[in-house]
Amino acid sequence: MLERRIDELRTAVRLAAVAGDRVNARALRAELRRAEDAWERALTALGEPSPMPPALVAVGSLLPVREQVHHALTLLTVPAAPRLIVAVHEAFFSGEMVSARLTSLRRDEERSFRSAPYARPYYLCPALTADMLAPARGLLTVSTWSVAERIVGPLSLRVHFLTAAIRVADAVVRLDAPRPATGHLLRRFAANIPGAIDGAYTPMSVAKAARAELVVHEEADRYARDEAARRAVRLTDVQRLFGARLGLVGDEAGEEATG
Amino acid sequence: MSAPAEEALDRIRGDAPARNHNARTISALTSNPGCNRRAIMDAAGIDKSRLASYVGFPAQFGQSQFAITRGNVFEAQVKADGCAELLTLLRERLALALPEVSYDDLELVGGNTSPELRHARTKTLLARAAAGLDDAGTLFDHPLLRLSVGGRDVYLEPDLIAFQWKGQFHVIEIKSFPVIDGQADGEKVAAAVIQSAVYVHAMRALLADQGFPSDVVADNVVLVCPKDFSNRPTVTFVDVRKQLTVLRRQLSRLTRIDVLLSLLPPTLSLSVARPAAAVVADLRRIEARYMPECLDTCDLARFCRDESHGCTRVMGHTVSEDLGGVETVETALGLARGTLPPSPEQEDAASLLRLAWSLREECFGGVA
Repeated sequence: MLERRIDELRTAVRLAAVAGDRVNARALRAELRRAEDAWERALTALGEPSPMPPALVAVGSLLPVREQVHHALTLLTVPAAPRLIVAVHEAFFSGEMVSARLTSLRRDEERSFRSAPYARPYYLCPALTADMLAPARGLLTVSTWSVAERIVGPLSLRVHFLTAAIRVADAVVRLDAPRPATGHLLRRFAANIPGAIDGAYTPMSVAKAARAELVVHEEADRYARDEAARRAVRLTDVQRLFGARLGLVGDEAGEEATG
Repeated sequence: MSAPAEEALDRIRGDAPARNHNARTISALTSNPGCNRRAIMDAAGIDKSRLASYVGFPAQFGQSQFAITRGNVFEAQVKADGCAELLTLLRERLALALPEVSYDDLELVGGNTSPELRHARTKTLLARAAAGLDDAGTLFDHPLLRLSVGGRDVYLEPDLIAFQWKGQFHVIEIKSFPVIDGQADGEKVAAAVIQSAVYVHAMRALLADQGFPSDVVADNVVLVCPKDFSNRPTVTFVDVRKQLTVLRRQLSRLTRIDVLLSLLPPTLSLSVARPAAAVVADLRRIEARYMPECLDTCDLARFCRDESHGCTRVMGHTVSEDLGGVETVETALGLARGTLPPSPEQEDAASLLRLAWSLREECFGGVA
């Protein structure tokens, strides 16, 4: 049913494009995209393994992957790499997160924003590099964060690492029954924070050690990011969310045409 | 490079496009500096692997996919979270100060991967750091370096981190072979060290262009490897001065390729468009120096090994050094049996061989 509709739309788009009717073609394309999205969703829902009866399935696994990523990022409050997002999800949320799906996520979000700006309450977008405001490789953020929060300067990776450690430690304290994955995640942070595993090793001690180092970098990092954020005012909405690419005028136009 | 030399190299290469160097091929140059055949083929930018299959000796090696994956996973682990593990190590070993955590990735410049742009940015950032300005940066990942090899500019796609500490740069190379009980596989270390030396050399060239002295890049490179049988990284400092000397000599040799070319007939060509027999005949006109190590670094090694069948050199360094002056296995056997009178320079080797022969006779008696 859906597939037939997609095929019909494709034909209509082609006809409109050939006839030079651009306005109509654009509207049809948007509709086609929606139909394709629905088709994708239906397919994903089919592919999801559900060994348990529906009543017993944890809520997390029913959430789309972008919701899961959003939860993990909201817990961390800083830009994070897919690996960390998956680890946080495993440690604190239920259901399985397929890391392979994260790779296509960013492009899907950008496409969705371009076709219908601000139609969703939030978008998952890349972090921006402080020097060029270009998309930073492999770091995800949430569009509702301020631009300064989404920028990564030279010191930011460390600052984000320490901030994430504090958030994770705080979350572990709040947990009633910690899971093995939680301890594993915290230990990963603790191993690379000076003073975190000396003496008594508790979530509180990890957070304390991370705060102690954070004080050293925080100010310089904030300064660099605020400065970059001021420059970001000049960007268009799409560029501000998904990054400005340098010298890719042709590609940008190409994306517009195909996306 | 002179114009006639350029012309001669083009003729030797034929119509095929010239192959570019990378750190691997440049470091391979230094493993057998005495080989004219390799020197000429590298200067001409010949696709050795293609030539080897054309003359009937296809190269049978290549890096294992498992090894590549393992290397990438370990590197990603060390570099994860803003090089968190690397920083911990450097803080432990070098007492790196807490504020020194700055990390710049030069793999992409504004979402763009063009080598010119990346090289320009590398130059700017490294020069700023070398000048010792405030907040000049500590770790620079994937700097794109450029090196002049045989008169051509070559971009090196490096897998290294340039680490600036107390006004001096160190090259950090992450390798996935283990260091067990403080010991690592000698060959692998040697290969890693020579590659790092290429990077040190290229970084010095880059900074020298901008008026910095060569000691702004340290002689010591930092090797990061897995420790014992675990996945935990460990840091080792390796002095690359010796490799740098070899490298410089080999690179200057490439620019003095005119001398080597003048020894060859003016019609020589290794173009794969010619009949295989003619190419083989021309290949044999260029002097080679086959050693067993060539098998690891040169695509044409099997051809040279076949060619030098019966030579004592084929048995490796130690044997050929013990048998100095004895070129072929046949001579060696003749000297040992006493059927061949040794020339004055073969005296030492001959007495050694005769001793070995008599021991063998004693052991086996009439059996063997």
